[in-house]
Amino acid sequence: MAVGWRLLRSADGRNRIGAVLVLAAVCVSTALLMFAVGANHAFDARAAREAWRFPRADAHGTAVEAASTDYVRGRPITVVELARAGAHPPVPPGMTTFPRPGERWVSPALATMTGHLPADELADRFAGRGAAHRLGPAALVYPDELVAVIGRAATDPGMTARREDDGGAASPTRISAYATTTPSTSDATGYTILAKIAAVLMVVPLLVFGGAAARLTAARRDQRLAALRLVGATPRHVVVMTVAEAVVTALLGVVVGLAVYAAATPPLTRITMMGGSWFLGDLWPGPLWLAGVVVGVPLLVGASAVVGLRRVVVSPLGVASRQTPPRLKAVRAAVAVALLIAFTVAAREAGRLGAGIVVALLGLAFLGLNLLGPWVVGVIGRIVAGTARGVTGLLAGRRLVDDPRATWRTVSGIALVGFVAGFLALFDPSGAPGMDTATNRLGIVVRAADAGAVANHVRGRLDRAHIAARVTVRTVPSPDRVGVTVWPRDGGDVDRVRTALAGTVPGHVFTTPADESSGEQTLFRDIRTGTLVVLVVSFLVAMVSAGITSVSSVLDRRRAYALLRLAGTPLSVVHRARLRETLVPLAVMGGGSLAAGLVCGLPLALASPVSPYGLTLFGSFVVLGTLGVVAATLVSRPLLHAVTESPSPQPD
Amino acid sequence: MTVDASSPVLDCRGLVKSFGPTRALAGVGFAVHAGEAAAVMGPSGSGKSTLLHCAAGILRPDAGEVRLHGERIDELNEERRSALRRTAFGFVFQFGQLLPELPADENVAMPLLLDGVGRADAVARARAWFGPLGIGGLERRRPGELSGGQGQRVAIARALVARPAVVFADEPTGSLDQATGQETMAVLVDASRRGGAALVVVTHDAQVARWCDRVVEMRDGMVVREWHAPAREPVRA
Ligand SMILES: Nc1ncnc2c1ncn2[C@@H]1O[C@H](COP(=O)(O)OP(=O)(O)O)[C@@H](O)[C@H]1O
Ligand SMILES: [Mg+2]
Repeated sequence: MAVGWRLLRSADGRNRIGAVLVLAAVCVSTALLMFAVGANHAFDARAAREAWRFPRADAHGTAVEAASTDYVRGRPITVVELARAGAHPPVPPGMTTFPRPGERWVSPALATMTGHLPADELADRFAGRGAAHRLGPAALVYPDELVAVIGRAATDPGMTARREDDGGAASPTRISAYATTTPSTSDATGYTILAKIAAVLMVVPLLVFGGAAARLTAARRDQRLAALRLVGATPRHVVVMTVAEAVVTALLGVVVGLAVYAAATPPLTRITMMGGSWFLGDLWPGPLWLAGVVVGVPLLVGASAVVGLRRVVVSPLGVASRQTPPRLKAVRAAVAVALLIAFTVAAREAGRLGAGIVVALLGLAFLGLNLLGPWVVGVIGRIVAGTARGVTGLLAGRRLVDDPRATWRTVSGIALVGFVAGFLALFDPSGAPGMDTATNRLGIVVRAADAGAVANHVRGRLDRAHIAARVTVRTVPSPDRVGVTVWPRDGGDVDRVRTALAGTVPGHVFTTPADESSGEQTLFRDIRTGTLVVLVVSFLVAMVSAGITSVSSVLDRRRAYALLRLAGTPLSVVHRARLRETLVPLAVMGGGSLAAGLVCGLPLALASPVSPYGLTLFGSFVVLGTLGVVAATLVSRPLLHAVTESPSPQPD
Repeated sequence: MTVDASSPVLDCRGLVKSFGPTRALAGVGFAVHAGEAAAVMGPSGSGKSTLLHCAAGILRPDAGEVRLHGERIDELNEERRSALRRTAFGFVFQFGQLLPELPADENVAMPLLLDGVGRADAVARARAWFGPLGIGGLERRRPGELSGGQGQRVAIARALVARPAVVFADEPTGSLDQATGQETMAVLVDASRRGGAALVVVTHDAQVARWCDRVVEMRDGMVVREWHAPAREPVRA
C-alpha cells in the first residue's frame, strides 16, 4: 500500500490523471463485479432458503409436509403444514422445535399484518392453540415475506387430501429431512439462471476495463521507457515495474471498490425481486468469493498490463503508432440483423413461448446490437471522414475508423438504453396482455362429483359469517373438474370471504383472478426492474468507459497534439473534433437503436399504443446519458491542455 | 513593406530568457536570410531549443526582440503568434509529430486545412510533395506503417506545404541512424531551398550541421562562435 502511494505521489500531473483513472476504473469494475457476484449469491441464498418448502418424498419419513399459497390484500402467503409421523421429526429452518398440532409459526411481516387487520380478514384463517411463534430469517426467502407454518395431527384432513400441485402448492408428502435445493422447475431456479447470464454480461465489460486500465498504465510507462532504458533498465525491469505499479494501483482500486459496494448494499437490498427485498447478507458472497475478487482483479489487471506492455517493449513506439486497423467484417452486420429479426419474429409468439424465452431473446438481441455497434461506428467514421470538408470532421472520422470499438464502448450504454426504451415504449410490463386482474370474485377448482357438496358447504359457511354472496358452479378446461365461484355482494371484502372459507376444501385456497395472475405480474415487474438495473449499470460502464477512452486517446497522442499546438494548431480544433467523434455516433446509434427497439417491441405492443412509462424512461435516460457521456469526454479537456502546455515536449 | 534581399527574413536581437533561476538565453543575436540554411549547435542544455522557441514565437523572450520581415512578432498576443506559426513557419521535430490515425497525405495537408483550403485542393497540394521528397507511393500509409526516415520526410512535407518563410527543425535526425539522418538532412536542406524557405536546424551533431550554410555555436545561453560551412557536394533529392 505504501509503495502504491509513493508511486502515485511520485507521478507528475498527467501521470496522476492516468493513475486516478486506472484507480477509478478498477474501483467501478470491482463494485460492479461484486454486484454481479453478490446478485448471484443472493438468488442462490434465496433458493436455498426456499428449498425446505418443497417436500422431498421418503416413504419411511418421520414427518408429513404440505404447502399451499394463500393470499391477503393481494399478497401471497406461503402456508406450510407439518404433522408428526414418527420419532424425531426434522425441525424446519428458522424454528426451534417441530410444531405440535395447533401450533402456528408466522413470519414477522405476517405477525404485523395479523395485528393490523381485523381477525375475520386474516387471523381467523390460522386460528389455533396459544400465541403464534415467530419464524426466524432462515425460513424466509426475503425479510418481509408472509409465511405461516401450521402444526397439524397426521390424521387431519388437510394432511391427507391431495392438492393441485403447481408452483404454489404441494400435496402432503412423507419426508425425513427438508430439501436443500429447489426443484429445477421452480421460479427460484429460473431466476438464478437469469442472474448468471446477467453476471456474464456484466463481467465482459469489466474485462474490457481491465485491459483499458492496463493499457493506460502501460502508456504511462511508455513515457518513461526511453529514460529508463537510458539509465540501464532492461526490458525485464520495465515489465516488472509496470506490472507492480498496475497491480498496486489495482489493489487500491479493489479496496475502494469494496468500500463503495459496502456503502451501496443497504440501498441495493431494497431492489424488489420476486415480490420482496433482500437480506443484507444475501448481497455479500462468501469469503472465498471475496478473496477471489481481491486477488483476482489485481492479477487480471497485472496480466493485461503484461500483454499491453509486450507491444511497448517490442516497439517503443508501439502504443502511439498503430497501423491501419483491419476493417470489421460486414458479416457482423448480417449476424446482428439476423438476431434482431429472429427476436422480432419470436416476440410475435411471446404468448406461447413464455416470458423466459422472450427475455433470453432480448439478451440475444442485445448481443446482436453489440456485434453491429462497432461495425456501424466504423461505417459512420468512413462517411464522416469521406465527406469532411474541414479538419474537425477529418480528425473525428479518422479516429472513428481507427478504433471503432473504443467509441462503441462509449456510446453502447446509450444505444442499449435506446433499444430498451424503444422496446418498453410499446411494451409496458405493468399492463401485460390477457391478465385478468379482477378482485370481484373468488374461485376454487374441485372434482366434478364434489361440486354440489362443496357449493352447499360454502353457502353454509358464508351464511354463518353473515356474508352476502352468490355461489356459482362453472366448467373448467379439464374434463372431470369444475370451478366453484363466490361473488360477494356489493364488492364485499374478498379477504373476509377467504377467511370465512378457510379449510372448506382441505389444502385448497379460494383465489381471485388477480391472485392467480400475481405470479405473472411479479415476473413482469421483475423484468422492468431487471431492465432498469441493466440500464443503470450500462450507464456506469458508459461513463467510465468514455472517461478512459478519451483520456487514453489524449495520452496516446500527447506528443502529436503538443507538437501540433507548437506548430500553431488551435486546441479548439482538436476539442471540437474530439467532441464530434463522440456525438455523431451517439446520435446515430442512440436514434438507430431506439428505432430497432421500437421495431422489436412492435409485436408485443400492448393495450396502449405508446406507454408513458417507456417514454419517460427514454427521455430521462437519453438526456442524462448524453450529458453524462459528454461530461466524461470533457474530462480530457484539461488533460489535453496540460499535456500540450510544455513548449519543449521531451522525448519522454 | 518591401523586402530587401540583403535584410534577413528572421532577425533576433539581444534575446534573454530565464526559467526560474535558470538563464537559458543570456543575450543572443541570431538572423537567417531567405534561402539560407543555418545550424544552431551546442551541447545539451546550452539553450538551442529555447532560442528556437523564442524565434518561432512559441515562447516570449524576457528581453530582446524578434522580427519577421522586419516586423516585431515577440510582442503579439498568443493567438496572433499561434496564427503566425501556422502560416509563416514550418516545424520538423525529432519524432511523433504525425497523428497516428491520419494517412500520410492528410497529415501533410493539415496546415492547409487549418488555413481554410478546401479538402480536395489541400490533399492534392500535399501529394505533390511526396514524389520530390522520395516518398512517392506512401501517400495513404499511416505513420505507424512508415520507417523513421520516411516519417521524417512526411514531416518535412508538412512543414513546407503551406510555403512558410522559415522552417524550424529541432533535432530532426535525433531518432534516426547515421545514414538515414544524413539522407534526411539532405532532403530537408534541399526541399527548404526549393520551397524558398529559410531553414533553422537545431542539433548537437556536427555531421548534421555540416549540411547547413552557416553554423552558430551556443554555450550556456550565449553564441560563442559562428562560421560559414565549407562547400559541400550538391544535394540529390
Ligand atoms: N520549460 C522549461 N522549464 C524550466 N527550464 C527549462 C525549460 N526549458 C528549458 N529549460 C532549461 O533551460 C536550459 C536550456 O534548455 P534547452 O534550450 O532545452 O537546451 P538544449 O535544447 O540546448 O538542450 C536548460 O538548463 C533547461 O533545463
Ligand atoms: Mg533541445
